[in-house]
Amino acid sequence: MRNRLRVLRAELDWSQADLAERLGVSRQTVNAIETGKYDPSLPLAFSIARTFNRRIEEIFDSPQPAGLASTRAGL
Amino acid sequence: MSEQQPNPDDAPLEPLYTHPASPFLRTESTAPARVDLPTPAIFQSTWVTYRAQIEFGLAMLAYLMVLVGSVTVLQANPGASWRYIVAVLPVAPAAVTLWIFMRALARLDELHKRIQMQAFAFSLGATALLTFAYGFLEGVGMPHLSWTFVLPLMAILWGVGTAIFTMRYR
Repeated sequence: MRNRLRVLRAELDWSQADLAERLGVSRQTVNAIETGKYDPSLPLAFSIARTFNRRIEEIFDSPQPAGLASTRAGL
Repeated sequence: MSEQQPNPDDAPLEPLYTHPASPFLRTESTAPARVDLPTPAIFQSTWVTYRAQIEFGLAMLAYLMVLVGSVTVLQANPGASWRYIVAVLPVAPAAVTLWIFMRALARLDELHKRIQMQAFAFSLGATALLTFAYGFLEGVGMPHLSWTFVLPLMAILWGVGTAIFTMRYR
């Protein structure tokens, strides 16, 4: 999943460790989310959104899966 | 020729001292001292960072001490009626160790819980694979190995699994 975490973090001049401390997770977890290697759980995504005072959709963006798109087109 | 007036731009914004330094007079700063301290870095003591490891180590130490004590007492009193109670005593610190371990797992964040789940699955599967493979080899004449090798093997593979899956999310 793509996300704007690194940009938002840079805007506030926070390090990964700063954000990790605010979210109550490890720095490695913040790094894995930023690099797209790990998708956060819904509670963690909400807590990220709250930390940056934005909506989840403004931070995370999932490309629509092809299967879902074709199903909708078929209906 | 008159002395050139000093350029006001060259003058310091605030003179550092109201008068030259003297051993008899107290030099006073014109502006109140204001120091911008850098934001203190997140301070994590060894206890906070390695709490689970320290607790685990102490519990293992307690287990070994009780185990050695229990074995020593049992060897001195092989026929005592209370030998069963003494023999089972090391289970108590072992149970504490298990509790500390489970609590440390519960305190991990979601990514590290996932890494541990994958590492445990890897360790279980790889141990099964290796022990079965060696079992087949024993059937055709390889020397018999004690069952006590299984737990250390599992622990080593768990460590290997943790390293592999930690690297994967780096």
